[in-house]
Amino acid sequence: MSRRFLGLALVAPALVVIVLFFIVPLVLSAVGAFRVEGGGFGLDNFVKSVDLYAPDIVFTVVIVALSTVLTGLAAIAIGGYLTLGENRTAVAILRWLYRWPLFIPFIVVGQILRTFLAKNGIMNNVAVGLGLIAPLDAQSFLDWRGIVIAFVWKQTPFVALLVAGAMASVNRETIEAARNLGASRLRILFEILVPQVMMTVTVGLILSFVTMLSVLSVPLMINAQSPTMLTADIAFRVNAYGDYGVANALGLISLAFAACVGWIYLRQSLKERA
Amino acid sequence: MQPDTFLELDGIACGYGKTRVLDDIDLAVGRGEFVALLGSSGCGKTTLLRVLAGLVSPSAGKVMLRGEDVTDMPPDRRGVSMVFQSYALWPHMTVAQNIGYGLRLRGVTKAERAARVDAIQSMLGLDGLGERKPSALSGGQRQRVALGRALAVDPEILLLDEPLSNLDVRIRLSVRHELRALQRRLGITAVHVTHDREEAMVMADRVVILNAGRIVQQGSPEEVYNRPASAFVAAFMGAENVVQLAGAPVGGRFAIAAGPANGEGSVPLAGRRLGAGAVEARFRPEAARIDEAGEPADDGGFAFHGEVVAVSYPGGHWRHTIRVGETEILADAGRAFPPGARVAVHVAPDALFLFDRPDIRPPVAQVSRQNSPIPAGKVPA
Repeated sequence: MSRRFLGLALVAPALVVIVLFFIVPLVLSAVGAFRVEGGGFGLDNFVKSVDLYAPDIVFTVVIVALSTVLTGLAAIAIGGYLTLGENRTAVAILRWLYRWPLFIPFIVVGQILRTFLAKNGIMNNVAVGLGLIAPLDAQSFLDWRGIVIAFVWKQTPFVALLVAGAMASVNRETIEAARNLGASRLRILFEILVPQVMMTVTVGLILSFVTMLSVLSVPLMINAQSPTMLTADIAFRVNAYGDYGVANALGLISLAFAACVGWIYLRQSLKERA
Repeated sequence: MQPDTFLELDGIACGYGKTRVLDDIDLAVGRGEFVALLGSSGCGKTTLLRVLAGLVSPSAGKVMLRGEDVTDMPPDRRGVSMVFQSYALWPHMTVAQNIGYGLRLRGVTKAERAARVDAIQSMLGLDGLGERKPSALSGGQRQRVALGRALAVDPEILLLDEPLSNLDVRIRLSVRHELRALQRRLGITAVHVTHDREEAMVMADRVVILNAGRIVQQGSPEEVYNRPASAFVAAFMGAENVVQLAGAPVGGRFAIAAGPANGEGSVPLAGRRLGAGAVEARFRPEAARIDEAGEPADDGGFAFHGEVVAVSYPGGHWRHTIRVGETEILADAGRAFPPGARVAVHVAPDALFLFDRPDIRPPVAQVSRQNSPIPAGKVPA
């Protein structure tokens, strides 16, 4: 009996932290999402959320999904080149370079890309200077495209880090066996290498998806217009109106999206284990 | 050189970083020949195979295939199939997909591919396993899938990188014969890497022995077994007993001077070039015959005198550890001699391998024997 008590006492601090700082706030905001004016419960907040923010919900899903796909492609390209590349200098440079964005916070990414993508930003100035476009044709990328670029720029190194690690641990003889039979490097990448690291790619992309879903600074910095992302709407509801009900409902909608990709992950890992 | 040289290596050298792995390798393989590259781990045999496959590029030398220089040809265009030590099956593909991948790369139609994969599966006894993943196969089955994958593309040359080393001993013995029979039937040229002497002897037409990145001897199995060109080859081929002797060539024979543990004697030189002075004698335990001390030798062989230290029964014969002078040797006999017994160990002349002692040999003798594993620079003047 006393041993059992000791065991509980040992896990208690961790348990208290999780319950106090994670489960309780989550339950409270979930409950808050269903609380309507007058103290009862209902779906009012969700109806209001959809009425006001339906375009933003779609915008968020599309932006994050697109960014996830592009991040995946870029990470596979980087990991593939690091694993299959034959120019040692290029591989070394890429290996040194690709991790940098990992150490740059989202807010700084937003700031950097603002000065880079704006109508009179570096990108357009360079393009005009090189004579690629006329000064009048310069356009700002500070809209949905800017958000996608920022997300991909920031998340690719993270996924590439995981993917390159997994690719490095793939039995090299399986790659050589394919080369030996006549496979080009592109076919090896997509038919031999990627299938063997698919689980890691999926995990990296799901974590990225959830991270991107929760970034506030990038949409605020780059896309100060409508439609925007749900994080900006949540901040706005709370800061401008003190409307925690709708904010909680929007939060739960985000959580539902995260849960969907989590479900995909669980299903795949079960399939892999079977 | 073979009359119908098909694959030729000319002065191949290779290294990783500053380490030299292969040095000055010359090798010619005839069409349909089965060549075994034999050597201990780290001798460069796998690297040599990878040079053949094009997975490693040599730092010097040429690889010729059908008379064409393929040294810089990428691996996918050589028509050389390799079976890897780890089998390297693709875990995400089924057995049939693994076997058929090479055909898919060659643009063979789906129906034709299925027919060929079926034929390969039946040939290798893999019927009914086509839909399984490699993880659901036994070691022997995986090995056969790897072989099937390599054979499906109808290669002219099959490279085998220790394909049997991950199999159980009993399966290994039968697969040896299956593999050899298959190679004969299909008429494929095969280069087989192994560290197992018996495997190389049983399977190959020709055994090529490598040491420290160089070919030290090549020849038919009985040639390298019965006429080792150097002390290294003799030791590698099982002649682990070493006794130091002294003597000099006299006529067509090598006269051995009486020593602390041996009487006078002589053995035919039989083409061997030996200098006068100290020599190293090597022989196999099974080539020895043990008699009570004092019994006369009847076959004109050579006898060592010693004392039995230990005796054991590994099966089929008794194995004796015998102290001869300063060293201990192993010798087999049909009956057991008790520890402490004084015995004479007879070795037939053709089973007694004599080599110049490189450390105390006059430098002129050095040029007389090629393929010495010891570089000439180490010999004191």
